[in-house]
Amino acid sequence: MLKGIVLKIPSDDTIVEALQIFVEKIGLVAGVSEEDVTGLSIAVMEVVKNAMEHGNGSDPRKLVTIYIDVYSGRLQFIVDDCGSWQPDAHMGHVPGEGKALISSRGRGVLIARNLARWLDYGLNPEGKTRATLIWPLT
Amino acid sequence: MKIKEEIKDGVMVIRLSGKVISGPDLMDLKSVFQTAISNATGNVLLDLGHVNWMDSSGLGVLVSGHTSLAREGGRMAILNATKKIHELFIITKLVTIFETFTNESEALASLKE
Repeated sequence: MLKGIVLKIPSDDTIVEALQIFVEKIGLVAGVSEEDVTGLSIAVMEVVKNAMEHGNGSDPRKLVTIYIDVYSGRLQFIVDDCGSWQPDAHMGHVPGEGKALISSRGRGVLIARNLARWLDYGLNPEGKTRATLIWPLT
Repeated sequence: MKIKEEIKDGVMVIRLSGKVISGPDLMDLKSVFQTAISNATGNVLLDLGHVNWMDSSGLGVLVSGHTSLAREGGRMAILNATKKIHELFIITKLVTIFETFTNESEALASLKE
């Protein structure tokens, strides 16, 4: 079992592509199928991009911390940022109407929720935003 | 992602395949939309029949292309979105702004109106 992987990455979107490849490799090692592994990586990247943008204001000096653990039957990603934004409270998880629909705000959370079987937002013990994404392993 | 362009019946047809996700490829797609707008090609038919994945950045480029075209009086329609991509349009409600078709001739006829 893979446990205790911790990544600390700057809030710089040029790192996203490399991280996506890493997540796909982890997914494959954990037993996610070739067919589903892109869905997994897209879901995780949506969460990470949100953390970079909304939590850390795209400030490369601020880090996003990703904890990866493989448990029996599930793959877990915990994504912490330096903010205290809560998508459920501030953005909702339903698309807006009119101009809000055209705006990209909130679309990443919708996509991640649709792809992942479990995505929950809350606060970590330090009071900063924490996203928990769980991908079941069959 | 691969991008192929052609003009059919006066409509710019853009055929995408692969993954429409964050990365340098998206800049290429933005450029293609920009060319369509600056060349006053008018209407665009976007064939997504061979797109298997799309993320919020990919959707953002499509929405941006759609709104930029509309601002210039043009239209963009979607052709052959796969079930997975159509689901994305539904959950993000973008299905309400994109015209979608499953038949190319019908799509071209509509865009020529």
